[in-house]
Amino acid sequence: MDSFPSHSSGSSPQMSAEAFKDQLKNQLAQAYAEEFLETVRGKCFEKCITKPGSSLSGGESSCISRCVERYIEATGIISKALFSASR
Amino acid sequence: MENFNNLDSPDLQGFITQEKERAMVNEMVAKLTSACWDKCITSTPGTKFSSSESTCLSNCAQRYMDMSLIIMKRFQNMH
Repeated sequence: MDSFPSHSSGSSPQMSAEAFKDQLKNQLAQAYAEEFLETVRGKCFEKCITKPGSSLSGGESSCISRCVERYIEATGIISKALFSASR
Repeated sequence: MENFNNLDSPDLQGFITQEKERAMVNEMVAKLTSACWDKCITSTPGTKFSSSESTCLSNCAQRYMDMSLIIMKRFQNMH
């Protein structure tokens, strides 16, 4: 969050509210994506690479793609459980 | 931020509040997903969640909320 204004063209010291909003949204989305990726790496490494070998095995690779899919699904399930009307 | 002249306009304040809330919700979901994944997904991930896994995830999130409420109440009783 250190560089909002400096991102706009250097000559103009001011930034429109719309540009500010867009930039804020983008930075938040990027931060979220990075954090999400880091979490998924951690979780799937733990689940799928149980005994690191000299190379990634086919089984490990397919475990990783299943793990990523499931983690995304799990995020949806949690979100639904928290905010669905059934509560 | 000093270059930005109308940071305190109501429109922008509303936007920031809204984004803050969204970020908090996302963080909450991320934290719970991580915790509940560890509790509920004990085997190697398959091509589909078993029904017990998805029920566990869902229960896990809802019980966490119940727990939060209890803890909050408990601390409200202290002075």
